[in-house]
Amino acid sequence: MTGISNSFWPVRLASVVGVVALCFALDRVVLAAAPAQYRLLILASLFVILAVSLNLINGITGQFSIGHAAFAMIGAYTAGTLSKNPTFANMPPAQLLAVMTLIGALTAATFGFIVGLPSLRLRGDYLAIVTLGFGEIIRIVTNATESLGGSYGMPVAPKVQLLWWSLLMMAVCIALCRNLLKTTHGLTFLAVREDEVAGLAMGVNVTMTKVVAFVIGAAFAGAAGAILAHTEAFISPRTFPMEMSFIILTMVVLGGTGSITGSALAAVVLFAIPEYLRTLTDAQGKAYEMNAGLFMGVLIGIMIAVAASKWIQTNVHEKGKKLGFYAGAWLAVIPLGFLFQTILHLSPTLKQLSFGIDILRYAVFAVVLIALMLLRPQGIFGHHEIGWHWFRKRPAGATEGGAA
Amino acid sequence: MTHTTQKWSLGFVAAFAAVALSACNSSTPAPTDGGTTPSGGGTTEGGTTTSARPAPSKAPFTVKEGEVIRIGLVASRQGELRPWGEDSSNGAALAMAELAADTADGDPNKLIIEGHEIQLVVQDSNSDPVQGKNAAEQLVNQGVIGLIGEVASGITATISDVAFSNSLPLVAVGATRTDLSAKGSHFFRVCYTDALQGPVMAKFAYEDLGLRKMAMFTDKAQPYSTGLSESFSAKFKELGGEIVDEQFYQTKDTQFAGPIANTKAKNPDGIFLSGYFNEVGPLARQIREAGMTTQPLLGGDGWDSDQLLTSGGDAIVGGYFCNHYNSLEDRPEVKTFLDAWKKKYNANPGTTMGALGYDSTKLMVDAVKRAIMEAKAANKPVDSMMVINALENTENFPGVSGAITLKGRNGDPAKRALVVEVTKEGQKFAKAFEADAVMAK
Amino acid sequence: MMSGLPLWADLSFSVLPQQLVNGLLLGAIYALIALGYTMVYGVLRLINFAHGEVYMLGGYVALFISWQFGFTQDALMQNSTREGSLLLLGLMLIASMLICGFIGLLIEFLAYRPMRNQPRIAALITAIGVSLLLQYAGALFLPNSPPPSISEKVNPYRGEWRITLSQPSGESVAALAAAKATLDQRTREFDEQIKQERSKFDLSPAGVAIRDQKNQADQEFNRAQTIVNGQKSEIVLPRGQVVMFITSILLMLGLNLLVNFTKMGRAMRAASHDFDTASLMGINVNKVVTLTFFIGSALAGAGAMMNTTFLGTPMTTFSGVQPGVKAFVAAVLGGIGSIPGAVLGGLLMGMAETLVVWLGYGSYRDAVAFVILILVLLFRPGGIMGSAAVEKV
Repeated sequence: MTGISNSFWPVRLASVVGVVALCFALDRVVLAAAPAQYRLLILASLFVILAVSLNLINGITGQFSIGHAAFAMIGAYTAGTLSKNPTFANMPPAQLLAVMTLIGALTAATFGFIVGLPSLRLRGDYLAIVTLGFGEIIRIVTNATESLGGSYGMPVAPKVQLLWWSLLMMAVCIALCRNLLKTTHGLTFLAVREDEVAGLAMGVNVTMTKVVAFVIGAAFAGAAGAILAHTEAFISPRTFPMEMSFIILTMVVLGGTGSITGSALAAVVLFAIPEYLRTLTDAQGKAYEMNAGLFMGVLIGIMIAVAASKWIQTNVHEKGKKLGFYAGAWLAVIPLGFLFQTILHLSPTLKQLSFGIDILRYAVFAVVLIALMLLRPQGIFGHHEIGWHWFRKRPAGATEGGAA
Repeated sequence: MTHTTQKWSLGFVAAFAAVALSACNSSTPAPTDGGTTPSGGGTTEGGTTTSARPAPSKAPFTVKEGEVIRIGLVASRQGELRPWGEDSSNGAALAMAELAADTADGDPNKLIIEGHEIQLVVQDSNSDPVQGKNAAEQLVNQGVIGLIGEVASGITATISDVAFSNSLPLVAVGATRTDLSAKGSHFFRVCYTDALQGPVMAKFAYEDLGLRKMAMFTDKAQPYSTGLSESFSAKFKELGGEIVDEQFYQTKDTQFAGPIANTKAKNPDGIFLSGYFNEVGPLARQIREAGMTTQPLLGGDGWDSDQLLTSGGDAIVGGYFCNHYNSLEDRPEVKTFLDAWKKKYNANPGTTMGALGYDSTKLMVDAVKRAIMEAKAANKPVDSMMVINALENTENFPGVSGAITLKGRNGDPAKRALVVEVTKEGQKFAKAFEADAVMAK
Repeated sequence: MMSGLPLWADLSFSVLPQQLVNGLLLGAIYALIALGYTMVYGVLRLINFAHGEVYMLGGYVALFISWQFGFTQDALMQNSTREGSLLLLGLMLIASMLICGFIGLLIEFLAYRPMRNQPRIAALITAIGVSLLLQYAGALFLPNSPPPSISEKVNPYRGEWRITLSQPSGESVAALAAAKATLDQRTREFDEQIKQERSKFDLSPAGVAIRDQKNQADQEFNRAQTIVNGQKSEIVLPRGQVVMFITSILLMLGLNLLVNFTKMGRAMRAASHDFDTASLMGINVNKVVTLTFFIGSALAGAGAMMNTTFLGTPMTTFSGVQPGVKAFVAAVLGGIGSIPGAVLGGLLMGMAETLVVWLGYGSYRDAVAFVILILVLLFRPGGIMGSAAVEKV
């Protein structure tokens, strides 16, 4: 950390103040302009936290966890149980939420440590399965424990919906993950991802690094869970199904394993799509049927066009022909959209009922996952971050680096 | 380092902008007048369930003179409760069609009451409490004056919270869990509660079937099942019976040989299966296969589905369960309903939820109508609190599932509970219990 | 109910033999599905997450075949001959196996083959994607349905066989009869009382007194009954489940012959031992992979057909998740990659689950699989019969 200029601390302070101010400002703006979306925005920011914290484990450290929802569940149930305690129940709402977020994060971190320490002897798919199993155990035990409300769930009081707080936590999560990578400690995470053996040879404490990544990731998931509990005022084991872990995983994979901003953006987009689809319905659900079918059709069409472009890139070399092929592939998106709309209409579920949005959503998520793995396994943004540098002029001769 | 900090702030801005964008994308045609705006910076609400039925405190949702009035229905059109969810929304659609045809406004497809067009808006809950809540929030955004739903208690609990915090009435279709009605003065239902059906089955088992030692199978994953087992065993023990064994399973289990062997060792006279039909069928089949061939099987309204016979086969025939109405009943409401259903959907309703969805929709429209009259008389625009009041004052509303009186009953109507026997041809009426005889103690 | 009592107070050891048999019957199906996981992992080092969904589709194949022959929802109304039923069952089994085999092939060809040179995590995410796609795209096009049904009247696999292990002593039977006589007397008195009070819903004080007397007699009767039960021990074998068990064992023996005594089997073993070297030695590894997927999926199809038909579970496109996950645990327990290991793991898993139920922890039955999984991976990652190396660094 050499060469810290004199302007370092003032700039840092200013950016912190700026972020806090921005959170408050956005809170007010949303409240004034779109109050109906207030809760949805909180949920979206929570998914950003979940995706970014999973990215720390999966993308940056190169481990593979698919039980992230369990940590959110631990945070949520901790908050739900403790806020019944009179010590906390009489606090002002904002203070209570802050305290609960912290405690939720700490509890989840503890569990992260307990799971992380032994299971990190395992690698790759074995670790994936242990995390999956851990998630399921937590859910089944909660389901069977009457004092936690069992399958019925647990009402959480008081209901506290504060957008600025969840935005702030989101900022903290993103900033922490990002700044971590700039330190020597952070570089060890990347070393573990790129080559464990080489890292070990260079004196990186591999186990320690993995456990730290696990604990930090779990802590933020716990924080998100605690905020979720107070936002929704009701939690049950079905709030955190196995599919939730898969959704978070899809967000990370889509955004780019290793790209913090990428996974944040993917989280927002993947959260917004189903909510957007919900609004397409008219009173009888008719318009929904048409629009959702076309929307999904075009989405699938775009993926096919991307696949085709990739094929053209490697297999067609004549320049004029190449352009023609590209144009053809992308123009085909529209008819493909209508074609898939027709196919989706053959589905008895969609045709007769005009419902089934969640099923359609997961089906498309699955297609996205498979297509990504086949076409661009490192995700849309790969290891890149979104930032000003995109708009800066590249030095001559510089190549696009960092792709896995 | 400085430039990286700047670079970073753009990252934030991008993420925030994306968040804000998603908000704009999903903006709805909802009429956001006074009623739907949060009262301050971040809404906070205290209080859980109390026995005194807390009243919603937020400003009610108001509809101006001549505007469309929307009623929201949350139904499990997908997921494991699909047979029920489909029936409940089909029943609701049938009720709306009938009401529209009845009003003399010229257009048989539109329901117009005193210048207000009444529309039914349906959203899917995917048999999931969380999705149910999102669906209810979406309906609130679409500007509904009241909510109808759901068929299951777990989902209804989350919908009820949404309705409460928006001061909207909720008419539950088939949510029988007893403690739901304590959630607030906005909550009403057209079905009976587990406080009725559990004891009714206990009484029937003890007195009519002469069973003394019962075993229970409870679906741990379903609030409905755990609640029903509890109320059954309480009454059965009070009557003098004994619960010799209780085994637990989870929704989607397929193999029950283990729990059944445990139960068999306890020699029960009869077995109470409090879960839903999806698991009850195979469970019954495996109970018989394990050599418990004589013990009567009993259950709650969770059994009610035409799929029960296919998955249970011969084993389930002769079982008894508690239901809301019976298609062979000799009442005009039942006959009219069944005829209309057959005409519209070309089949018999597969489950009771058809009738309950139909009843709840008719009840809601009736309450809206009374609220409009009241508003007209007071020369005010109609709002959701008026609908809550109208529902609270319902007396002897003629429903397919029996007369519905909600006045002074904290949202739980006095309903009859029928015990029916499963036969190869369908359900055979066995005995009726009047609610007041059971509940008054 | 039971939770208030100490754990051992409620155990009945006379049920134990029955529970062990139940565990075996349950485990056979797990083993059948686990074979698919273990064979694919052995050859490709890939956890085929979509295997559970292949199993689910097998159930649907059986359903559609039974529909083709007119066995729709009215199970009780259908008439058929005994031979017809048997023929139909055979047809359902073969069709499920064949079609599942081809579905497995298709999945391998479309999704996994392009991923073969990618990192294993990418292949794993693809597998998760395929699994989710089959569940949810399936839900768009396949019905939620009651299980496939064959005619109940002539189902050759109804009823049960009984094996008596021990009879109660004459003394305790006599005591039980005496207790029963007292109980009947008290019950009659109480029934009289009930009849008089029938119009009311709750008992009068007099009724309560008689009830308490009756309860006391009841308890004595229970005590006598418990003694008799403790001495009596029998095993009930539902015929359908025995048929399932035998079919599973036959299929597994067939697989064993194929792997150990044919040329193709030797190629499979070679590829499983070292994929790259095997291909260098002139083995057509693509053919081996194809065959592996076909056999594994066909076995899952057989399991699905038997499970849905004989147990009568209603079908959704999500019904493959739970058996799939449990079978996977069974494969890991036995040692993933090892065929006898998968069989052993499946049987042990079935036993473990049933024993947890026997102990009175039925609510935690599904958690057992995962607890076993984590313990095995932590302490013996190679499983019982597998090679110990997971992935050496």
